[in-house]
Amino acid sequence: MTVVSKVKQTLSTLKGSEATLRLYSLQERDKEARVIYTEAFEEISKIKTNLEKRVGSIEFQEPQYKGN
Amino acid sequence: MNSWLIILFNSVILFFITFFLTRFMKKRNLSKFTPFDFISYVVIALIVTLISLGIIPNIYFGLTALAVWGLMPIILDYSSMKSKWIYNIINGKERVLVKNGKVMEDNLAKERMTGQDFLQELRSQKSFNLADVEFAVMETTGDINVCLKADKKPVTSYDLGIKVASKTEPQAVILDGNILNEGLTNIGLSKGWLSTELENKGVALENVFIGQVDSSGDLYLDLFDDLVQVPKSQNKEMLYASIQKSQADLMSFALETENEEAKSIYLKDAENLEKVVKKLEPYLLR
Repeated sequence: MTVVSKVKQTLSTLKGSEATLRLYSLQERDKEARVIYTEAFEEISKIKTNLEKRVGSIEFQEPQYKGN
Repeated sequence: MNSWLIILFNSVILFFITFFLTRFMKKRNLSKFTPFDFISYVVIALIVTLISLGIIPNIYFGLTALAVWGLMPIILDYSSMKSKWIYNIINGKERVLVKNGKVMEDNLAKERMTGQDFLQELRSQKSFNLADVEFAVMETTGDINVCLKADKKPVTSYDLGIKVASKTEPQAVILDGNILNEGLTNIGLSKGWLSTELENKGVALENVFIGQVDSSGDLYLDLFDDLVQVPKSQNKEMLYASIQKSQADLMSFALETENEEAKSIYLKDAENLEKVVKKLEPYLLR
């Protein structure tokens, strides 16, 4: 497995977690828990953006792995 | 008019009068009666019986007595809400039986309680050992309430320093195979949500005895057919595991990469994600 495909895999796991957290933050009725879910969701979405940028730069440096 | 007709008529009227009277009187558990409450209820019951059987020849005498015994407790209740002084006169004062771990013998004597009675009451409060009792008080109803010494109290999550997720009360959404619309609207969920959830679990609505939704939106089902196993939702554990996995991945990327800038970003993200994991732990794992 190439580096870029590993990073992409982690990226997709993170996206899944982000979506689930967002769902929980909407479903939760307890205010405190809702805040916790929302914060976690926001934090993960920041990390996700960083990772996406990284994928972009790896693909730019090593175009032969693009699309993997 | 026949005398049995009179009795029938009186009884029906008195039935409703007493019914509404007791409605307006204090709502309390029978075992929490003060002696005076008990007496007033008994007197009312007796008066009602006597009038309805025609034993009191003049019905107005009976009704007057009933009005006094029925209304006086209500009046006293309201005035004791206004004044602490009246409250103390009516209900008496609670008496401290154990203070700082020492039994107050004088107060026991005032309540005409022997040591044996006292120990028995303590045992009924699950404190078999007098040495564990820090404070005990006899309420005006005659109940004894016990406060244990700090090191003998049951452990709470606060004592252990564990953060637990705060939760609101669960709502019943299915009873006897019927959907409860009120419960669903209280938590802002729809019938469509419920049917998808049931479909995911592979359970027919008719087979559900009780369905309850907790504050995080998880549905718990109890079926009529106890042989059927309801799959327990493990979404939260899965989410926790996948976030943890992402965190580990970020760490390994940080180690693998030779680009210094990327390395620092990876490390920082991994650190942030770890904080998120810590924060979510009480909510996702229980």
